[in-house]
Amino acid sequence: MTEQTSVLRDVRRGMIPAHIYNDGAVFALEKERLFSRAWVFTAHESEIAKPGDYVVRRVLEDSFIVTRDEKGEIRAHFNMCLHRGMQVCRAELGNASHFRCPYHGWSYRNDGRLVGLPFHQDAYGGEEGFRRKGQRLLPAPNLATYNGMIFISLDPQAPPLADYLGDFRFYLDYYTKQSSGGIELRGPQRWRIKANWKIGAENFAGDMYHTPQTHTSVVEIGLFREPKAEKRKDGCTYWAGNGGGTTYKLPPGGLDERLRYVGYPQEMIERMKATWSPEQLAVIGDNGFMISAASLFPNLSFVHNWPRVADSEDVLPFISIRQWQPIGADETEVLSWFAVDAQAPEEFKALSYKAYLMCFGSTGMFEQDDVENWVSLTSTAAGSMARRLLLNSRMGMLADGAPVTPDLSPERFAGPGSARVGYSEYNQRELLNRWADHLERPIDAPAAVEVGTADGRNPEGCA
Amino acid sequence: MSLTSRGTPPVGELSARSVLGGDASRVQRTGRPLPFGDERHLQAHEWLVDESYLLSAQKYEEWLDLLTEDVHYLMPVRVTTALGSGFDTSPGMAHFDEDKYSLSRRVARFLTEHAWTEDPPSRLRHYVTNVRTFATDDPEHIVVESAILLFRSRGDVQESALVSAGREDLLRADGDGRRLARRTIMADESVIRMQNLAIFL
Ligand code: FES
Ligand SMILES: [Fe+2]
Repeated sequence: MTEQTSVLRDVRRGMIPAHIYNDGAVFALEKERLFSRAWVFTAHESEIAKPGDYVVRRVLEDSFIVTRDEKGEIRAHFNMCLHRGMQVCRAELGNASHFRCPYHGWSYRNDGRLVGLPFHQDAYGGEEGFRRKGQRLLPAPNLATYNGMIFISLDPQAPPLADYLGDFRFYLDYYTKQSSGGIELRGPQRWRIKANWKIGAENFAGDMYHTPQTHTSVVEIGLFREPKAEKRKDGCTYWAGNGGGTTYKLPPGGLDERLRYVGYPQEMIERMKATWSPEQLAVIGDNGFMISAASLFPNLSFVHNWPRVADSEDVLPFISIRQWQPIGADETEVLSWFAVDAQAPEEFKALSYKAYLMCFGSTGMFEQDDVENWVSLTSTAAGSMARRLLLNSRMGMLADGAPVTPDLSPERFAGPGSARVGYSEYNQRELLNRWADHLERPIDAPAAVEVGTADGRNPEGCA
Repeated sequence: MSLTSRGTPPVGELSARSVLGGDASRVQRTGRPLPFGDERHLQAHEWLVDESYLLSAQKYEEWLDLLTEDVHYLMPVRVTTALGSGFDTSPGMAHFDEDKYSLSRRVARFLTEHAWTEDPPSRLRHYVTNVRTFATDDPEHIVVESAILLFRSRGDVQESALVSAGREDLLRADGDGRRLARRTIMADESVIRMQNLAIFL
């Protein structure tokens, strides 16, 4: 633990002990103190649009059935049978009014209630021996939604989701609420990469600096209208609440002109104007910044970009939401969804999807080069030499902590939080500082739930 | 059908159901597989083997020339669903849902000097087996299905990776030879165990 204390102290100075990107002990702490506490994205309401629809999603090893019950209520059930612990649902999506455990046949309604218990009388002596009444699959300790995005927290004492998101909600709306209809999500594509989960989260949060180098090839083949990837340094990064991201600087013009520049048809622009606040519109129309990549602590990222999708001058914008699901210190499962405004014209939806496939996801031409770097970084971080190396993550800051570029004034950036033009690692530091906050704070042992007994709760209150 | 799970649509129909396959050829297989001695089967098998050498050697420009202008190249995302649910691909999502333009951009990128994911290049081997050929209602077209296993090795630290898949191809007669007009790749994993699909199958 002493060792981690110095790790966290270094991280807070913007100096990163390289081994945190591949270290079993660090990962054990992340599991115990970060993922057991933070709000974690599981699904979007559009993925479970009808009663009975469900998807199975994990928070590390914990599997949850995220479902819409017959009354339309969204629930997340821990996917473990109350009897002997079998996984109740083994499909990853579908529609079901009930879930029947394959082991001994206990069955649960999709609201989680235990409704079928074979031989209840013969085997247990009925309610006397096993209280079936009121038993339900263990619900996620906390569940809340924002713009249809379903988050859960394993911490019963978690702060309200709205507080956790804080002012990052302002930016989330650009990705997830372009009209009153919100977004629909498709996918995810899922694949495993031998890379630490933090690298992707940091990259999407604020790494505009990698674009001209890592993504040269995508610019060279004419996928982007902008001739030079160096354009990125004219954009700004922002941080607000528990998330932050990057933007591109748009050419001069008004709001409509700038939204058309990235490829939105006028009817979508009208809906944006009816949906977003004056400040949200001002960031684009007055300040000239268009959101690009972003991350919400700890492991959810977003991207918005506008490539060409055919042999013409036109570009088409797309949105992807992705989760960096940790498998181990050196392995991550990427879940990458395509998101699109539910009220967008069908033709736009199809072309936006095409833009997504060309750029991001398992086959995306951006993503391919990103992942190659992250895998190399992770394997290099495993050894003893990486333990001697403190990487400098202080970009944008002078030795005394003064900023290289001053914060944008409210006149130049209408969004909440802090923002500054150019390359910097402010957002990566924000992310890792939160990571350190969690890792240094011990967790309270959660109360155990007892199945089938009179009071249903272990009086000792410990696991 | 052989490439999909029980009760799910035939693989040849997935192109029509995909988001971007609107302009793809709809010709479907008919009847039982052709005898292995049939000239059309022999040609199709040879075509697939020749193609696999191009793909393993990353001779992607030559490979592009084997595709028709209206080609649809589809690799759905497989999902784990309950038996009897009627589907085992992700609705509205694929790994590849490509036309000639998007494939040509992917190839063009590999030809730049800055596609880092393939610099240094992977060592690739495409194994093609279980080839069966079917006639269609149109003498210009045959359907050929195959199993493919891709072995990919990068560098000297990382473990190698595999992708196993079934494919159904629509081959169209073109002069002396044939070109690929439609390919549907049914990956055998729902979660791909490869760092990216910067390869073709
Ligand atoms: S473990 Fe589920 S019924 Fe026994
Ligand atoms: Fe990138």
